[in-house]
Amino acid sequence: MNFELSEEQQMLKQAAREFLENECPERVVRETEDSDSGYSPELWKKAADLGWLGLIYPETYGGSEMSILDMAILYEEMGRALFPSPHLSAVILGGLTILEAGNEKQKADILPKIVKGEMILALALTEPEAMWDGKGWLAEGVTVPAVAQGDKYVISGTKLFIHDARIADYLLVAAKTQKGEKTENNVTVFLVDAKSPGITYTTLRTTIGDNRQSEVVFNNVEVPGENIIGKLHGGWAILEKVVKVGAVLLSAQMVGSAEKAMELAVDHAKTRIQFDMPIGIHNWVQEYCIMAFADVQGTRNLVYEAAWMLSQGMPCDLEVAMTKARANEACVDAHWQVHQVLAGVGFITQDGVLPLHTKRGKVCQLYLGDTDHYIEKIAQQVEKWPDVEKPKGKPLGIFDVPEDLQVPNWDVWANQIKTAGKLW
Amino acid sequence: MEFGFTEEQEKLRKELHDFYANELPQDISGVPALSKELQNFWMDLQKKAGKKGYLTPGWPKETGGLGLGHIEVGVANEVEAYWGIAWPDAIGLHICGPGLHLFGTEEQKKRFLPEISSGEKIWYECFTEPEAGTDEANQQTRAVKQGDEWVINGQKIYITGGYKPDWVYVEARTADTIPKHRGLTLFCIKADTPGISVTALPCMGGYRANIFYFDDVKVADDAIVGEVNRGFYHVMATFEFERSSTGGAIRAKRELQELVQFCRETKRNGQPLVKDPSVRKAIAKMAIDIEVLRLSAWRTAWRFGERKRLGPLDFDLTGLSSRLNGMSHPTMRMNILGAYGQLRMGSKYAKLAGSLERAWQITRSMHYAGTIEAIKIVLAGRVLGLPRIPAKLNTTITKTLQEK
Repeated sequence: MNFELSEEQQMLKQAAREFLENECPERVVRETEDSDSGYSPELWKKAADLGWLGLIYPETYGGSEMSILDMAILYEEMGRALFPSPHLSAVILGGLTILEAGNEKQKADILPKIVKGEMILALALTEPEAMWDGKGWLAEGVTVPAVAQGDKYVISGTKLFIHDARIADYLLVAAKTQKGEKTENNVTVFLVDAKSPGITYTTLRTTIGDNRQSEVVFNNVEVPGENIIGKLHGGWAILEKVVKVGAVLLSAQMVGSAEKAMELAVDHAKTRIQFDMPIGIHNWVQEYCIMAFADVQGTRNLVYEAAWMLSQGMPCDLEVAMTKARANEACVDAHWQVHQVLAGVGFITQDGVLPLHTKRGKVCQLYLGDTDHYIEKIAQQVEKWPDVEKPKGKPLGIFDVPEDLQVPNWDVWANQIKTAGKLW
Repeated sequence: MEFGFTEEQEKLRKELHDFYANELPQDISGVPALSKELQNFWMDLQKKAGKKGYLTPGWPKETGGLGLGHIEVGVANEVEAYWGIAWPDAIGLHICGPGLHLFGTEEQKKRFLPEISSGEKIWYECFTEPEAGTDEANQQTRAVKQGDEWVINGQKIYITGGYKPDWVYVEARTADTIPKHRGLTLFCIKADTPGISVTALPCMGGYRANIFYFDDVKVADDAIVGEVNRGFYHVMATFEFERSSTGGAIRAKRELQELVQFCRETKRNGQPLVKDPSVRKAIAKMAIDIEVLRLSAWRTAWRFGERKRLGPLDFDLTGLSSRLNGMSHPTMRMNILGAYGQLRMGSKYAKLAGSLERAWQITRSMHYAGTIEAIKIVLAGRVLGLPRIPAKLNTTITKTLQEK
């Protein structure tokens, strides 16, 4: 057990904070939000120069072979600064899928481009019906078919809530390639040129107000068979793994965001004077700050644990599910607490970062599995917990006394003591 | 960063686990030690464990420990908590002993520490008073020097414990200072010294607390622990040993495990309880909270091992999350059992040996080792740096209100 960040991690954190404070102030966040793409190509290039896009890839592809835990530390800082970027889509959900399951050619073609910031991927997984039924992030939810025609596949159907689809060069599309009983064995991942004929995009107007999410409609889109990532029908295992990593990193991002908001609340509570005293002197105001603080710290430990386990390659379905479920609630809760402290100041959308944090927090909460999704995942693990171990020692038999003596009943004991005439 | 344990730590865990698995009787089930037989059993086990050094793995070998590091102590805490072990001398082991290590004289160390680590003696802490609960420094019990002796007079309340103590660890006022906490001194006093008398206070959940009366209790200089008038600082430093314990989450996890097992085996409306959506939600929620608490406690323990002392942040977050869990979990668990949840141990129809009912009663007040409000005051003032009402104003406010 050791909770200390290594020297390298501390440097990464420090450097990231400085870079983002200088390069990604509130103004830049707002500008990108208003832009058509929802991200800043200029900032994206700078992030690539810093090596952020290849952080966890092998050196062969231009990466620096750092761990998912290191990445989580970076994501915290990105969340703190509201860094508007397709990092999660391109580097994790897209790039990591290629790295995990792609063949050598695919990896060599794509990964170096991602690292340099020259290619953006987006994951097209979730579908309209499934997002209603709570199966959006389950294999059952993948129903858009890819039908084999010669050495090609033809994809038809709708994918919904696809982050960064509008700016992506390629889409990773999860499609149904067979109709077996086990839905996990029916899914194949295709690398689809985002400009392929037959694909139409509709931008969704969401809480955030940027243009990050889209409906993507596939109308007889042809994909060459060589564009399958991993094995035919074997896509779900990869996606599950990659979504797990994404969920932990997204949680890290939410922790960073909640922490920044919490700091706003504390600052405001110290400096805002009403009735001739700082409002932070009131217990009610303190309560909000404390609960936001507890949300941040408690979740951060979970994030680090899950990220550490992922980095070690340990099985950690339970830890990942706990992390995202807790981050979902804690981050939104922390933002709410901060709103109570900031009151009118935090409600104005034209300046101040709190509304931006709040809205992004909500979007993150709903992305890569909402709380209900992960609560069910946790329950699936916890219900399989083994029975508790019973001690093996010789029975004492002292519980074979009459029922009323077994009950922890003070009166009985007090009477015994009285009879004995003393207290012990 | 590292969330696992070394091989040696796992070996220690296994060794302790097996020891308790073999020593604890099959029919034991989390009952408080209310009967004499059960008290005897726990005392015997305490001595047995003491012989092996298991009671005090973190103490140096000279005083009867195993000389292990803080992570190993945390591992031992976890095992003890898993088996629901409540040592009769919990106070001596986790508060007085460490305190004597830090502040005791050589003579005191030689005299007391081996007795504590071998599990032979029982110590009580006498810190809280009717007027000194959260406001620990507001002690009214007085120790006055008369010739060679200190004469102690006063009353201590909410002193938890059902065993007969051998020694009491008393904080008393030796000077009227401002601020109040600079005039307190610690004494260790034999419990049967003339002038000490005790009344019992029954508590919810079957616990017992006591009132200790000190009536012209006379002790010599050698009863003083640490420096005169520095007692408050000694006590605060000593509490860190108790507060860096990692046991709570493991106990909670075992209780959840028991509940899950029960929900697997029990059917409602023709299907196992564990398939009920509301039950699933509850157990998942509790599992998250327990993991948050576990990590927070380990972070505290790790910090303590690294820095040899805690900052305000370390314990208080652990304390906050343990109290939040304590307030919500027993109710959630009881609600799963519905009306059966209210049945006490030994009652006809009682489920899970009535353990939920007892846990619920105990957690109605989460005040021990500091109320949740006290923890929040520390978090707000010392961690987040939020302003607080100056002490001088407190007095004015109280006066104004009294005049009204």
